[in-house]
Amino acid sequence: MMNDAGIGGSPSDRERPGSQGRRSFAPTVLAAWAVLVVYAGLIAAALTFVEPGGLRSVLSSPRTWYSVRLSLAAATAASVLGLLCALPAGYALSRHRFRGRGWVETVLELPMVVSPAALGAMLLMAFSHPAGQWLQEHGVRFVFTVAGVVLAQFVTVLGMMVRLAKTAFDGVPVELETVARTLGASPARVFRTVTLPLARRELAAALVLGWAKALGEFGATIMIAGTMAMRTETLPIAVYLRLSAADLPGAAALIVLLVIAGLGALICVRWLSGGRSHA
Amino acid sequence: MLEVRELTVCAGTFRLREVSLRVEPGRCHAVLGPSGCGKTTLLHGVLGLRPVESGSVTLNGREITRWPVERRGMGYVPQELGLFPHLTVRENIRYGLEARGCRGAEWERWMEELVDVTGLGGLLDRRPNQLSGGERQRVALVRALAFRPKLVLLDEPFAALNESLRRELWWLLRTLQHRHGLTVLLVTHDLAEAYVLADRVTVLLEGRVIQQGDKAAVYGRPAAPAVAQFLGVETLQPGRVLAAGQGLVTVEVGRARLQALGDAQPGESVLVSIRAEDVLLAGEAGGGSSARNRLPARVLRVDPGHPLWRVELDAGFPLTALVTRPACEELGLAPGQSVQAWIKAPAVHLIRAEACGRGESGLFRTGGRALLSRGPEG
Repeated sequence: MMNDAGIGGSPSDRERPGSQGRRSFAPTVLAAWAVLVVYAGLIAAALTFVEPGGLRSVLSSPRTWYSVRLSLAAATAASVLGLLCALPAGYALSRHRFRGRGWVETVLELPMVVSPAALGAMLLMAFSHPAGQWLQEHGVRFVFTVAGVVLAQFVTVLGMMVRLAKTAFDGVPVELETVARTLGASPARVFRTVTLPLARRELAAALVLGWAKALGEFGATIMIAGTMAMRTETLPIAVYLRLSAADLPGAAALIVLLVIAGLGALICVRWLSGGRSHA
Repeated sequence: MLEVRELTVCAGTFRLREVSLRVEPGRCHAVLGPSGCGKTTLLHGVLGLRPVESGSVTLNGREITRWPVERRGMGYVPQELGLFPHLTVRENIRYGLEARGCRGAEWERWMEELVDVTGLGGLLDRRPNQLSGGERQRVALVRALAFRPKLVLLDEPFAALNESLRRELWWLLRTLQHRHGLTVLLVTHDLAEAYVLADRVTVLLEGRVIQQGDKAAVYGRPAAPAVAQFLGVETLQPGRVLAAGQGLVTVEVGRARLQALGDAQPGESVLVSIRAEDVLLAGEAGGGSSARNRLPARVLRVDPGHPLWRVELDAGFPLTALVTRPACEELGLAPGQSVQAWIKAPAVHLIRAEACGRGESGLFRTGGRALLSRGPEG
């Protein structure tokens, strides 16, 4: 049997030759700290603009609370929809070799390399096509609506969520599924009783990351849903609008809300992917 | 009963070619071969995990070549065991019962009996990561047996265990097999494992069946040089048939002449295969023995080993013998000493050049030359 202490854990958790048992300090550590300084500095800069008056006026404004509610609801809807699509798609990418697999994998990265604004503009263009217009008239209206907000966020996070779901399923040994099948379980039962429970932490992490990314989405949302107060004004758009109106304290207060939600999500993800109950 | 007919299975660039074998009910059949010979591919073909290119798999008279895995009713223990880490031992071993809807007092009694025999009683609420290697092995075995499969497939199941644990589990598996009449197809590269567990053996090399039969026959009478090499036959020497008649063959090997049972044509080239435990050593004076072959030999080297000592001899050709330590001490074996090597005629097995089949004459030659050129240092 292998010594468990020797394997697992990230390299930084292990004693390395040359470190002689001390906490290692290398010039590269300075760079790592610099990263922290950059982001902590940004947050600090925003905090300097927070003032009691601005905070009070922002927190007492119904328009702010509408934005908060809209952001939470839209991000939740977009990330849940994303997960529903990511589960089968990620599973297929993890387990099957099929025609067009390479293309699907490449396209997953598209929302990351194409600007979200461009993505939103493409959505807008799609809905000005006859087919898109027909859908708008006979189905759901997306342009300048809450549905548009959800759609924009969904399109932005889908690729990432599929990739994360694929990675989650990659972590479940195929052999466990094989054994379950030999024991008489149908593929659906295998998925429900073996694959899903074993991937659930990573899938939950995918959901939280997708939610956080959707919450912060700006470019695509503003393109298709616009900036209509009490209609399509999400938190990031509210930040943009307050900044445009030179209301720095108001923008700072909203940023604090966004940072709290984002950091909360990241801590949640760290907890989900850090403490594995088994493996 | 499992019957595999001319099964061809493709696994990437590797291809298992026209493998046929049959496992009688209540018997254990071992597929023996080095890693990469296609053993696991064969199991996957039988289980339905890989598409079959041609040939058929029949279980208890029903052709199941294209059936989905879950309908075949085969118990499977893969090399890595595949215990479900998120389930307890109890949930693991009951997985098959739940999936198949096996309920009732009879199933409960059977589970109790299995848990009893394997000694898993105290571990039922643990998770796989809280078990030792031997315990994990037992859980995997019980899980595969729990739903009373028609056939049990084992893929190198005990490879990760130490010697004594392995023997214990062999014994357990044999007990279970005999008591409940299990039909087992076992895949292994371990000779000892195949010898202890199996009734019949199939030797698989490079995706083809090279030899098949009763385990003692395969072990003592390898049909091809490649089989002899894989089985670790200690003495494998090229020879020439001098005379043959009445079932007795005289072969010239190096400077010596050996008598063997079998039939061959005078002048024919053969490979002589002798298992080291069939070579008996006696002092120079010798004594009474019924052995037909009594060769004067000189000791080249004595390797202390466990449990037997290995003695390399020059008997006109390089010959290896295995003797017990007391026997070694009694004879006072040391390099340079002269002894007699006794080998009974049935223990001298001849592999005929024609029997070596397509593309194997190369193996025949290299096998012989490699062994000829091997000096006293081995």
